[in-house]
Amino acid sequence: MEDKLIRLAVNGRDEAVVIQPLATLQDVLRDKLELNAVKSGCGQGGCGSCSVLVDGELQLSCLTLAERVGDAEVTTLEGLNETNAIVPLQQAFIENYAAQCGYCTAGMVMAAKALLDRNPAPSRDEIVEGLSGNLCRCTGFAPIVRAVQQAAQALSDTGEEAS
Amino acid sequence: MPELLRPGSIDEAADLIARHGAAAAVLAGGTSLMRETYPSDGGYLIGVDRLGLDRVVARDGGWSVGAAVSLSVLREAVPIAALQAATREIGGPAVQNMATVGGNLFARAPFGDLAPALLALGAQLVFATADGETTQPIEDFYAGWADGAPPSTGLLTRIELDAPSGDCAYLKCARRRYSTPSVVTVAASVQKDGGTVTDARIALSGAHAQPTRCAAAEQAVIGSSLDEAAIAAAASATEGAVEPRTDAVASDWYRRRMTGVFVGRALAALA
Amino acid sequence: MSMKELGVVGRNVGQRDLESHARGQTTYYEDVHYPRMLHLKMHRSAEPHARIVSVDTSAAEASPGVVCVLTHEDLPGKKVWNGLAAVGVGPEDEPILAFDKVRWRGEPIVAVLGESAEAARAGAAKVEVDYDPLPGVFDVEEAISGSLPALTAHWPNNHYIYPDDHGAAQIRFGDVEQGFAEADHIVEDSYQTSPIEQAPMETNGCIAKPGGDGRITVHTNTQAVHFARDNTAAILGIAPGKLRFLGGTVGGGFGGKVDVAVEPISVLAAMRTGRPVKFKYTREEEMQVSSTRSAWRLNIKDGVMDDGRIVARKITSYQDSGAYLRFSSYGSMKHAGHMPGPYTIPNVWVDARVVFTNRPPSSAMRGFGVMAASFAIELQMDKVAKTIGMDPWQLRLLNAYRNGDMRAHRKVNEDAAMVETIQAAAQLAGHELPAEYQAMTSWDRKAS
Repeated sequence: MEDKLIRLAVNGRDEAVVIQPLATLQDVLRDKLELNAVKSGCGQGGCGSCSVLVDGELQLSCLTLAERVGDAEVTTLEGLNETNAIVPLQQAFIENYAAQCGYCTAGMVMAAKALLDRNPAPSRDEIVEGLSGNLCRCTGFAPIVRAVQQAAQALSDTGEEAS
Repeated sequence: MPELLRPGSIDEAADLIARHGAAAAVLAGGTSLMRETYPSDGGYLIGVDRLGLDRVVARDGGWSVGAAVSLSVLREAVPIAALQAATREIGGPAVQNMATVGGNLFARAPFGDLAPALLALGAQLVFATADGETTQPIEDFYAGWADGAPPSTGLLTRIELDAPSGDCAYLKCARRRYSTPSVVTVAASVQKDGGTVTDARIALSGAHAQPTRCAAAEQAVIGSSLDEAAIAAAASATEGAVEPRTDAVASDWYRRRMTGVFVGRALAALA
Repeated sequence: MSMKELGVVGRNVGQRDLESHARGQTTYYEDVHYPRMLHLKMHRSAEPHARIVSVDTSAAEASPGVVCVLTHEDLPGKKVWNGLAAVGVGPEDEPILAFDKVRWRGEPIVAVLGESAEAARAGAAKVEVDYDPLPGVFDVEEAISGSLPALTAHWPNNHYIYPDDHGAAQIRFGDVEQGFAEADHIVEDSYQTSPIEQAPMETNGCIAKPGGDGRITVHTNTQAVHFARDNTAAILGIAPGKLRFLGGTVGGGFGGKVDVAVEPISVLAAMRTGRPVKFKYTREEEMQVSSTRSAWRLNIKDGVMDDGRIVARKITSYQDSGAYLRFSSYGSMKHAGHMPGPYTIPNVWVDARVVFTNRPPSSAMRGFGVMAASFAIELQMDKVAKTIGMDPWQLRLLNAYRNGDMRAHRKVNEDAAMVETIQAAAQLAGHELPAEYQAMTSWDRKAS
């Protein structure tokens, strides 16, 4: 089987990439486009570190075949900072010490963004459920949940979007 | 490495499945299949993302659920509480956005928590084969599994679901609340006339090699008023009837105990 | 009292890399991308204990995309090693690539380099090893019973031998047999912990990149970058100055990234091919092959008086090191150092053994040795309390060590806070303590 040229819409840009057969979206984002925020913790959909948005919906790039993405708009964590300004959700992670090694952080932020985009004022239980596909092994989940609570509060105070 | 095929019609997909047989695997949401290590050479992945199977159609008295409908969409589109509960307890939100109803019915233990809910709700499965369409009750589909592998049924295209006329309960026993494989999963629906149970469908996964209904538990409650004694009898009958397995999630001993406990709790919720 | 205003104490201190994490800009080893990079996959032992009859790499070498294979014959320096050899701990017992025998299922035998991870994986699957299986050793007490074969010539009885021919890390304090004879009750039980995988979010891995200056740059997620560099150099028989290790950014470690498991073979592969080489454990390898916290078994016997005083404690413990030593001799020293728990007991006898079995080698994890000791000792304390019908909080308060007590290690105890900690915990838990127990302090035992 031969390599294939595909087009992807990633973080607002059109990208043309040559992929190997059965390359995953994770392979393309990391190795071809060097969007390193996409992590590769398990390759099995078990850890959430590779979470991205596909047409605004939280998905796992490690379980997605790149050539099936088609015209859908892919957003990685880098896509939140196109103007370099940090977004309220990221600020809340910083202020709540919601990362230690940082390896899960990108996936956590994307899962939190997907949640807040759909439900701007989630309860604590809804936050826990919204982050339930993302594992952290260092800080524990409590500061991460607090960060999302703070971000939701900040957003309702300012009327802004999560990012 | 297998070749990815993306047929554009159901007929074409059914032909490909018939032609390639065991060398082909159907790729829907990918949350099970993409975790596998591909064989080094040969084989086919048949993508079902271009077949229009990603829609739920409300019809008179029920729903036609496309086999490639995601768990998230199912939850939004079909307002049956037991089914919605099941979708929330399969993976996390990302998996629920990707995993499909049809794919989940082919998941291997200890995954596949939708099956008990659909067994309890009396779902019918519709398959496209090279010879045309066939329909079978979901319990017949699982009865056809052998050695942990599904029968050659063709392509699952949709699930026909009637609006439940009785109450239905769904409970998953697991090591944590979300995004976790199941120890055992239980769904139960009962029909009552006055206070008396006239019909019951009690379904389990994790109790046998495949998801099944539990006739012993159903018999124990039919004709009863779903009183404590009947529920205890059903729980006990369940424990006597199951043949669970031991894996990394739980021992057969623990699964057996939990089938009884969770059948009891599900029935108590319906009492 | 006037004090200089403090800059750090009492304040939240910013974490330097938090913004970088939140933006996804932290550079982990794997975030360095090199063109023409090769991928390394390991063919691993399918047997827990076997003689290697033959290794055939021809099908692997012929597999599409495979660039080269490395066996123990390709190692230019050491064939066996131990990470602490440089500080006098030994012997060097662990093959870098197995030869002659395999001693655990998952032991590396042949490294396969491929143009892609998939090519390397497919190639590694084609290595053929012919085994002559040997009886497996899986239980720590059976292992040293003399009824099973010795795993290596280093330890004829399958347990580690400390300097001066000690078969265990030992404590001898007072006379336990005398203590048992005088005790009103004897309480005995056996406790077992399981191996625990550190399970960091990021699996073990590194990228080795040859440079034009003859040095190899290694991007690694080791928790011990200098240790990893020095051991890699020693294993390969090259000067440490030839290696430039870049690390410190670790996607979770918890002790699971100190084994120098990936760097030496990756550097060798980079030297051999002249190309960048990436060796990343799959999640399955991380769970099944990378070292775990050791499983421990502890047999504890206590002599206890009717009033709750523990007058003798005898512990025999067995650390399951798996097939090789790694850091286990240090682990059992820490384990013994934690005996007999935070209690003053006049007669203590401890034998803490490191035992070798055909399980995956175990290694560091967050206080290894200590946790297993606490687990067993605190379960034993509850059992003692139940046996003599005493409140377990009171039992612990009565026996907790005080300042000035002589500990079993012959060190006078200072800075004790055990009594106050238990009292505070009891208060938070709503557990009522009698006045005499509330009045206890860490200073109140005058050599009784």
